Amino acid sequence: MRCLSPSGVRFKEVRVTDDVAAFNPSAADHGALLEACARGERQALQQLYAQEGSRLLGVVVRIVGDRGIAEDIIHDAFVNIWNKAHTFDATRGSGKTWIFSVARHLALNHVRTRHREVTVDDETADRLDAERAHEVETDMQDHFDWLGHGDLDRCLAQLAPERRNCLFHAYVDGFSHPEIATRMDRPLGTVKAWIKRSLAALRECLS
Amino acid sequence: MSDRSASSPPLGPEETDDLAGEYVLGTLSAEQRLDVERRLQEDTKLQEAIWAWERRLQPYTAMVEPIAPSSRLWQRISRTLDDRETSRSSAEERATRPGGLLNRLWHDLTLWRGVSLASIVVAIGLAAMLALGPGQTPSSRYLVVLMTPQHTQAGWIVQASSPQRISLKPIGTFEVPPGKALEFWTKADDWSGPVSLGLVEPGETKQLSLDDLPPLEDNQLFELTLEDDSGSPLDRPTGPIQFIGRAVEL
Repeated sequence: MRCLSPSGVRFKEVRVTDDVAAFNPSAADHGALLEACARGERQALQQLYAQEGSRLLGVVVRIVGDRGIAEDIIHDAFVNIWNKAHTFDATRGSGKTWIFSVARHLALNHVRTRHREVTVDDETADRLDAERAHEVETDMQDHFDWLGHGDLDRCLAQLAPERRNCLFHAYVDGFSHPEIATRMDRPLGTVKAWIKRSLAALRECLS
Repeated sequence: MSDRSASSPPLGPEETDDLAGEYVLGTLSAEQRLDVERRLQEDTKLQEAIWAWERRLQPYTAMVEPIAPSSRLWQRISRTLDDRETSRSSAEERATRPGGLLNRLWHDLTLWRGVSLASIVVAIGLAAMLALGPGQTPSSRYLVVLMTPQHTQAGWIVQASSPQRISLKPIGTFEVPPGKALEFWTKADDWSGPVSLGLVEPGETKQLSLDDLPPLEDNQLFELTLEDDSGSPLDRPTGPIQFIGRAVEL
């Protein structure tokens, strides 16, 4: 089905990895490999690992900031992928999306659970916010080289660079709201509102 | 399940999408993440919204430089899977011997996808101990392994020496945030709602007699929720589930 996709559907995001697989037979379809995992074929898991292990480790190291912990998380992620392969539903997204989400959420759960006690109390947050509110200069620089990666480009382009930076510090660095506020040197409340409004703007742009 | 949805009000379409977006982005707190993962089990709209954000954002992970894993990592993964298969086949073998006592338990365990090997070993060991221990009369015995809602970690075990007397034992560590407490609940299939069994100190074993309740039954639900430190203000859980499991008759 993936070779005969009519040109009209090539903008559908789910198709991208399938199309890559169609043009590059050595990169086997992730969804097919997951189905093989669900049938108990260990080689399929090894192939997923060979294809995505480095990229997944890069993503997880970036979030947890520690190579050893990140390898533990990748270990757990592949054990989970193996055990849950039968729950993968290709109608909801590509196999690649699924395995990245498994690894990312393990990493996010790790940093959120560990850092729970580090969050600042309200009084400190208010004081920091008051200090940061004085600096009003706008950061027009993008912190991430985001263009050209996905279908969301068009909508991301409509956001101010500062707001894109907030989204990517969260998604790529795994920063919490207070960490983003510190990195961006902006009040916590502002950062929270920006992220909420940016997501709404992206939703609007996509609909 | 009415007892669970009752503790979290339904979300409108935009709220669902906001929550899904922040969950995928990663900005939610540990507590909020647990709440999303709990809602996910029943809320298909939330599942769809999360998938949509995952699809949109995943291509941007390509901005991160790949890092080659150490050569030992695949071996480690492979060994974990080997160990699990070995313990499964030996457990299946044992389960057929003592009158299928372990059958039900094992059946449940294999459904707990993603359970760490250590948890399985603990549960099997405990079941074997209970089932095959010395001088035991064949009265009803129950075991519950309370897992995190995503079934990734076992945190507590409930053992029942009789249908009225149970003990709750910690098998891991759990940090309760300041101002919060763990509250223990149970609900049998045909009860209208859950009943509180009181607050629980992390790391401590708790003995309980269920004299005011109907006898413990197969498949009875047990859960630990995170509540304010004085416990839930209502007659049902109001905070997110931290650990959950169902009773298995041995």
